[in-house]
Amino acid sequence: MLEKKQFDVIGKRFDIKNIGKVTGEEVYSCDVNIPGQLYAVVLRSPYSHAEIKKIDYTEAEKMGAICIGPDDVPDTLYNERIVSIPDKTYRDRTVLPKDKVRHVGEAITACAAETEEKAFTAIKKIKVEWGRKWKPVVTLDDAMDSNASAIYDHVYLGEKKVDVKNNLACERNIAVGDVEEGFKEADIIVDETFNIKRIYHMQLETKSTVCKPEANGGITLWTTTQGIHNVRILLGHIFNISLSKINVKRITLGGSFGSSIQMNSITPICVALALKAKKPVKLVTSREEDMYDHSSYPLKTRLKVGVKKDGTLTAAHCQVWVEIGGHNIQAYPYLGCVAGWFASLYKWKNIKYEGKAIYSNKGPSCARRGYGSPQINFPVENTMDILAEKLGVDPVHFRLQNYVGRGDEFWGQGPTVKSIIRSCGVEEMLVKGVELIGWDKRGNPDEKSGTIRKGIGVARGFHTSGTGGPRAGEVIDYSGATVKINEDGSVDVITALMDHGGGTWDAGAKVVAEVLKVPFEKISIDNGVDTRTTVFDVNTHATRGIYCGCGAIKFVAEKVKEMLLNYAATLFEDRPENLDLALNQELSQGVIYPKGLPENYKTIGEIADHARINSVETFSYTSTLRQKNCPPCFITYFTEVEVDTRTGEITIPRVVMLGDSGTIINPELWKGQILGAYALGLGVGKLESIPYDKVTGKLKCNGFITDFKVPTTIDMPNIDDIIVDHAHTYEPTGPFGAKGIGEAALSAVASSFGNAVYNAIGIRFHELPITPEIMLKALEEKEIGGKVRNAN
Amino acid sequence: MRKIPIEFSINGQEREALVNSNDLLINILRDDLYLTGTKYGCGIGECGACTVFLNNEPILSCLTLAAAVDGKEITTIEGLAKGNELHPMQIAFLKNAAVQCGFCTPGMILTAVALLKENPSPTEEEIKDYMRGNLCRCTGYVQIVKAIKTCAEGGENESI
Amino acid sequence: MQTNTKILAQEFEYLSPKTIDEALDLLDKYKDKNIKILAGGTDLLVKMKTIDLKIDYLINIKNISELNFVDTNQGLRIGAVTPLSHIIREEKVKMKYSALYEGIMSIAAPAIRNMGTMAGNLGNASPAADTVPPLIAYGAEVKLQGKRGERTVLVEDFIIGVGKTIIKPNELITEINIPQINKNIGSAFLKKSRVKADLSKINLAIYLKREGNICKDCKIVFGSVAIKVLRAEKTENLLKGQIVNSELINKVAEKASCEIKPIDDIRSTAEYRIAMSKEMLKDGFELAWARAKD
Repeated sequence: MLEKKQFDVIGKRFDIKNIGKVTGEEVYSCDVNIPGQLYAVVLRSPYSHAEIKKIDYTEAEKMGAICIGPDDVPDTLYNERIVSIPDKTYRDRTVLPKDKVRHVGEAITACAAETEEKAFTAIKKIKVEWGRKWKPVVTLDDAMDSNASAIYDHVYLGEKKVDVKNNLACERNIAVGDVEEGFKEADIIVDETFNIKRIYHMQLETKSTVCKPEANGGITLWTTTQGIHNVRILLGHIFNISLSKINVKRITLGGSFGSSIQMNSITPICVALALKAKKPVKLVTSREEDMYDHSSYPLKTRLKVGVKKDGTLTAAHCQVWVEIGGHNIQAYPYLGCVAGWFASLYKWKNIKYEGKAIYSNKGPSCARRGYGSPQINFPVENTMDILAEKLGVDPVHFRLQNYVGRGDEFWGQGPTVKSIIRSCGVEEMLVKGVELIGWDKRGNPDEKSGTIRKGIGVARGFHTSGTGGPRAGEVIDYSGATVKINEDGSVDVITALMDHGGGTWDAGAKVVAEVLKVPFEKISIDNGVDTRTTVFDVNTHATRGIYCGCGAIKFVAEKVKEMLLNYAATLFEDRPENLDLALNQELSQGVIYPKGLPENYKTIGEIADHARINSVETFSYTSTLRQKNCPPCFITYFTEVEVDTRTGEITIPRVVMLGDSGTIINPELWKGQILGAYALGLGVGKLESIPYDKVTGKLKCNGFITDFKVPTTIDMPNIDDIIVDHAHTYEPTGPFGAKGIGEAALSAVASSFGNAVYNAIGIRFHELPITPEIMLKALEEKEIGGKVRNAN
Repeated sequence: MRKIPIEFSINGQEREALVNSNDLLINILRDDLYLTGTKYGCGIGECGACTVFLNNEPILSCLTLAAAVDGKEITTIEGLAKGNELHPMQIAFLKNAAVQCGFCTPGMILTAVALLKENPSPTEEEIKDYMRGNLCRCTGYVQIVKAIKTCAEGGENESI
Repeated sequence: MQTNTKILAQEFEYLSPKTIDEALDLLDKYKDKNIKILAGGTDLLVKMKTIDLKIDYLINIKNISELNFVDTNQGLRIGAVTPLSHIIREEKVKMKYSALYEGIMSIAAPAIRNMGTMAGNLGNASPAADTVPPLIAYGAEVKLQGKRGERTVLVEDFIIGVGKTIIKPNELITEINIPQINKNIGSAFLKKSRVKADLSKINLAIYLKREGNICKDCKIVFGSVAIKVLRAEKTENLLKGQIVNSELINKVAEKASCEIKPIDDIRSTAEYRIAMSKEMLKDGFELAWARAKD
């Protein structure tokens, strides 16, 4: 079902407004400088699990540095991510640890001084007296071992105290139907285990905060965040300052991928220093600190699936384990989401899901683009290929037979958020992709020979556009905006919505331009807004920027349109419904005219200025909106790999990328999201992991990206070998039919890569990354006929 | 530690400064001259975000002592445009959606400008090879390579 | 030990001599102090930031114009602080000294190559250095100058261990001399790394002198497989003077894989390096052999 719309602005290509980004004028948190500011450096733990007995600041303070320690900061126990409702939020951290550190790199104290060098020298003069030290608990198996040292005795869930046994941070069990019955019905059962390791986001901008204490006891803040309001609320709560005295500025973010959904760990530290010093304080983390500060959630999955000979799925039993590091940022909703991503990919019929999150002595894990979707997509999409092979059917047909699509119930965000899918391009994308990649010519692995082997793999994924549902649930999800028509007909859009660089602000401006028929260049959605001037927006995460954020903006713009037409009606001495609103390109203005008499127009500027001159009003409206859906945006990848069996190296000669986002508001940036995600996924597939040393508890790379390699220009295929296309769908509940794409784009990349590798060489890897060393070893083992890491 | 007097030109302007021996060029640019377009990404020469021109050749300011630029010419991203007239490479980046979060962009643009100076008609492979030291996590590089190719082919010369 | 890669925390005296003599005077004056020579800074500053390398005096030799030159008259003479990127601009280097050209092109990225120098590469003496295998393969010499005179040492003898060279505290590397390449000489450089801009997992420079079907002379030099760049002399002896055929090359490749002594480290495994040494030898030989046929 398609709805062809003629848009003035939506879907059209404009030169991106980000001129500041190419001239160096764009200001990020780390670029903010306040006269008289001090520079802060954090002292971090060299131990993975150790008791802090005493801290001596004498030498540091003698230097003139301002120091803060556990006694200088509030006792408040909090979770830095307050996107979930309080009852479902685990709390285990304070601003600085009072009793013990739980991972190498955890902040212990901090100093501020006139220069960064001085502050760094000062922290090195702080003497920490350590008490008991425990052996680091690093791997999942170590963490689950009953003899493992207890990282926590108890934590809080909402207001309830919860004992922590065997380092179990939280768990989630969900069942639909009866899997045992389902397996009985199955003719074929596949039961495999997969492992996705921790990845470091490596967002280009390291986390920073600049805090200016105000005369009234309040603070102004610039920080790397995806949600200014949550930062404000948390700081108000921790430091007991009225929110009216805390102002968090919305500022451009140098990439995030989920690492700033939560308030960064350095933010309250910076605030504490600023309040103590009574001077502005700037805290910019080094790259090596940043790598200890956050990483993605790993996931070990055991997936057992049953299928009938006719290709109907009958049951799926999914067990997952994730070690989450030294703090629980959002493991509970993660487990719920993983269940949802798994459950809503295919019609399993009967489902059993068991998820466990376990503490470990590592930097805390947090969401990374997809929030578990890439992690669970890999086991699912590999299993689908395995099942197809056992059934002797084409993997694409098998997927077409079983995918959850239009009209089906889907709970992508977890079991409490159920809705019916209204727009779905899955079939179109699979059918199109098959043509574009040459799927039918891909051959079977055992037919292939020679040192260079090619293979094609398919994988599909999705993400919810936000976290909205029929009823408000465990996750807070609403956005708001103010839209104001200026006296010359231009428009200000004032919103806390963040833009990671994917074009969310552009989209917001386009939505307003489309509603009010004002030229895109005359819409400002620029920085210069903050928590004081904007209404609440929960966060720009969960691929909600367009569907929820711009959905709210559209809602507000429609109200302003109403106001405008009502006023215009008085000028035309007519009823508002007898007027038309249109974009006049020549005049570069929106115009209103009586229906049937376009020549008798008045520009919006004239109308707005009339309202000013006659002391009537400003056309402006402020409101929030909660979306009651989170429609899935879908993605399908057909990846071609080339494996050099002499060297184990894998390259990507061709790829077809297909996305379903309903109406695509920013076509070029939409494409950019998919291409960017593809590079990230390739990194997961063949390059990236951040292992910790079992003895020292330190990162093996020590936080230096010398040994955390990410894809570069050379790792992506050539321009002409990449096809990016979109499904033709329209989401009726989305702003102008739009859904998201950001996280969907990453969900299936590594899966398509893994499936392609199997098609090339007949070896299925259950763990990533597939480095040349691992590939070569697997090839040799297969040759010898020994243990083969193959599902068959 | 004695202070070292240096003279250098920054974006065409002659300047003098008194620097510590251990001051890094990146911090002089960002913290003293408030030219924050040059970014700290890793501090160890692996990401390219701190790229500037030293005597018209790209170098990494995170691994350059301020004292070592005495008598030299520095160009940062802020010095690329001529007044309000953007450099063709800047325009190409904007027009080809080669900019997302923008943090890698200054380094990318400067490196790309250097490439075209050395090799005015690079193949796609040559572009990718030259740019391999500039990391980006947002764009997947494809639109960046396209922007550079387009700029080399002489398109996109109108200003925005 | 906490690091902070945003700044350079160490305090030291910075000196910037303009001539070789000035530099030598300084080396002499502060000979009892902890001195480090700064050329490009791409190794030294990284070390200072990441392993807290302490120094008292930093002598920047990059401004000594006498040390910045490329002379292609007889063979190749390269001034110690010539930026690596300038070296490869020379047509002669690209055409005749393929292994050196390829070795330098394999380093990191243009900015690093603009900063990096031969003096730095040699002085840093990393077993993973990409310029060193080609230099050894060509039989290059390094000139060391002290107050009392100068001496010339084969690059092969100059580096003796990880970060260790035979340079004396009062000496300066002034130039690298590579012999003239005559006809029937071919060379190649290969490298395996995690990404192309990376340090090597293993690298290889091959130098061949060809006479018809016979390999008259050869040098086979591996990097990242031992505590210093390794000349695989046993492997060379298997090849020298022999009629070249694929059976021989396979034997030579096998020998090379036994002669190297790689370890497991964060970049790769010994097993992989050994496997790659074979493939790289075969590929490198083929390339160099074809190039040796003028």
